[in-house]
Amino acid sequence: MQKLLVCYKWVLDEQDIKITGDLSLDTSKAKYKISDYDKNAIEAGALLAEQHGVAVEALTFGNAAVKQSLKDALSRGLDKVFWIGDAAAEQADAFVTANVLAAAIKKAGQFALILCGEGSADAYSQQTASRLAVLLGIPAITFVQQLSITDGKVTAIRKLGDCTEAVTVTGPAVISVLPEINKPRIPGLKQVMGAAKKPAAEWKLNDLGLAAGDLTPKVRKLSVQGYVMDRKKVIFKEADQADNVAKLVASLAQEGLC
Amino acid sequence: MPGIWIYSEDSAVARQLLTAGLELKTSMNQAVGVLTPNSEDAQSFVAAGADKVYVVRGSNPWPESYAGAVADILGREEAAVVLAGGTLRGKDLAAKVAAAMQAGLVTDAATITYANGNIETSRLIYGGLAVCTEAVALPAFVTIPPRTFAEAPAQGNGAGEVVTVEAANEDERISVTNVCPIVRQGTDIAGASRVVCVGRGLNKQEDLSLAAALAAAVGAEIGCTRGISEDYHWLPNDRYIGISGQKVKPELYIGMGISGQVQHVVGVRDAKVIVAIDTNEKSLLFEAADYGIVGDLYEVVPLLTKALQK
Repeated sequence: MQKLLVCYKWVLDEQDIKITGDLSLDTSKAKYKISDYDKNAIEAGALLAEQHGVAVEALTFGNAAVKQSLKDALSRGLDKVFWIGDAAAEQADAFVTANVLAAAIKKAGQFALILCGEGSADAYSQQTASRLAVLLGIPAITFVQQLSITDGKVTAIRKLGDCTEAVTVTGPAVISVLPEINKPRIPGLKQVMGAAKKPAAEWKLNDLGLAAGDLTPKVRKLSVQGYVMDRKKVIFKEADQADNVAKLVASLAQEGLC
Repeated sequence: MPGIWIYSEDSAVARQLLTAGLELKTSMNQAVGVLTPNSEDAQSFVAAGADKVYVVRGSNPWPESYAGAVADILGREEAAVVLAGGTLRGKDLAAKVAAAMQAGLVTDAATITYANGNIETSRLIYGGLAVCTEAVALPAFVTIPPRTFAEAPAQGNGAGEVVTVEAANEDERISVTNVCPIVRQGTDIAGASRVVCVGRGLNKQEDLSLAAALAAAVGAEIGCTRGISEDYHWLPNDRYIGISGQKVKPELYIGMGISGQVQHVVGVRDAKVIVAIDTNEKSLLFEAADYGIVGDLYEVVPLLTKALQK
C-alpha cells in the first residue's frame, strides 16, 4: 500500500478572540492551533498507517505562522510534514487553497488516501476535500464516521444527516472525516521530543507552478463583525434557590411558556 | 441561459432556494432555472416560477455522482449564479462543481444579494463568533442551509420548459451500499418546540434523569453539548447541539451545566427564550440567556421541575 497524506490547517483559536466595543475582532491574544477537525483527520491517518505499516505524511498551507505547527503535528503520529508558509494564505478562499494543496500533493508523490477534516475551525467552508478530489481526478468520500482498508479497498461509512451509507473505493481517494470517527491522541513528552527529529519540508508557493489566476481568490472578504446576541440577561443569583426558581417561573409565565 | 440556477437533491429544499432565486431574478434581471435529479418534481418548480428545468437522469442513483453532469450543464448555460441546497450531499456536490468550473463558493450563507456586479453573502465564521460578509465573483456558487427560506408558492400559470438530460454518472471505482436511515431515539430535536440541554456540569450519566424529569415537566426533548455525546457517549450524536451538530429553534431552551462555548451557543441562537442554569456565574451561556439562575443544577433543577409540574 502506498503512503497516506493528511491535510491540516493552522488556525487562530477562536476561544481567545474577543469582540470589541465596535464589534471588530481583537485577535491580539489569540494563539494558533491545529484546526480541531483536522486533529481527527491526523488521528485517522496515524491509526491507518500503524495498522498497515505504511508512512503517513501531512501537508499544510498557511501564513508565516504555520511553521509553528510542525512540532505539534509531528508529535501526533505523522512521519513528515510538507509546509507552505505564505502571506497569500491570509486572503485565500477554498478555490485558492485547493489549487495550492492539489499542486503540492502532485509534487509530494503518490498517496493511497488523502485525509481532511470535514471543515476548518475558522471558516468551516467544508469544501477542501471535494475540490481536491476534482483537481486530482480521484473520488471524494466526504463526512466519514468509520474508515477501514482491506486488500487495497477503502470502505467508509458516511453520515449524512438523515442516513448513513457504506462507500467502497478502489484506488486513491480523498476522504473527509467527521469528529466522531476517533478521539485524537494527546501527545506525551516522548512523542513531543520525537517530533523534533522528524523531517519537515518547506515549499515556496512559487515552486508549485501555479498561474496568477490560480492564486486569485474568487471570494473576497468585505467585513467581519462580532456576532452579538440581543438577550434579556435577567440572572437570578440569590442564595435562596427556591426564591430564584419562583422568580424564573414567574418570568416564564410572563413569556407565556408555563 | 446565463442566469440563476438552483440545484438540490432534495426537492423541498430546491423550492426554498427558488424563493431566493426569484428575488435575485428581480435584482439581476436574469432568468431562473432548476436542475433536479427528481423528474416527478419538475412541474412543481415550473409552477413555482422556474423559467427552465433540467431533469438530470443517470443510471447511478448516488446523488454525489451527478457533479460532472451538473457542471457540464451549468458550463453550457454559462450560469451566473448557482444556489445549491446546503445539505451535506449538496455541499459535497457544490464544491465539486465549483472546482470543475473554477468558481468561488460560499458555504452556508444566511443572506444573499446582488451588488456591484458580485453576489454578496453573509455567513458565520469562527464557530459562530463573527459574521463575515463576502463578495463572490460571477459565476458565483452559494450553498444555503435548508429552511433558510420558505418554499416558493405555486403560482399556477408557470410557462417554464422542462428538458431531460441523460447523465453518464457511473463510476466503476466507487460502489455505494447499505444506505440506511439513522434510527433516532425519540423525535428529532431540530424541530422540537422545547429543549432541555445538558453539559459537562452533569456529574454522571445516571443524573440524566434530572434532565429527563424537567423535560417531562415542560414537554421538551433532551439535547446535549458535544462533550456529552462525543466524549462521554451518554447521549447519541444526533442529540448534540452546536455548529457541527444540530441547530434548534425551540420556543424554550433550558441549558444546565453548560459553559456556553460559542460552538454550542450558535446552535441555539434561534431559540425564542434561553434559560441558563450553572454554578459558575461566568458561564458564557448567561451572556446568551434571557433568564438564568446561578446555582448548583442538582439543587435548582429538581426545584424547577417541581414548580413547573404544577
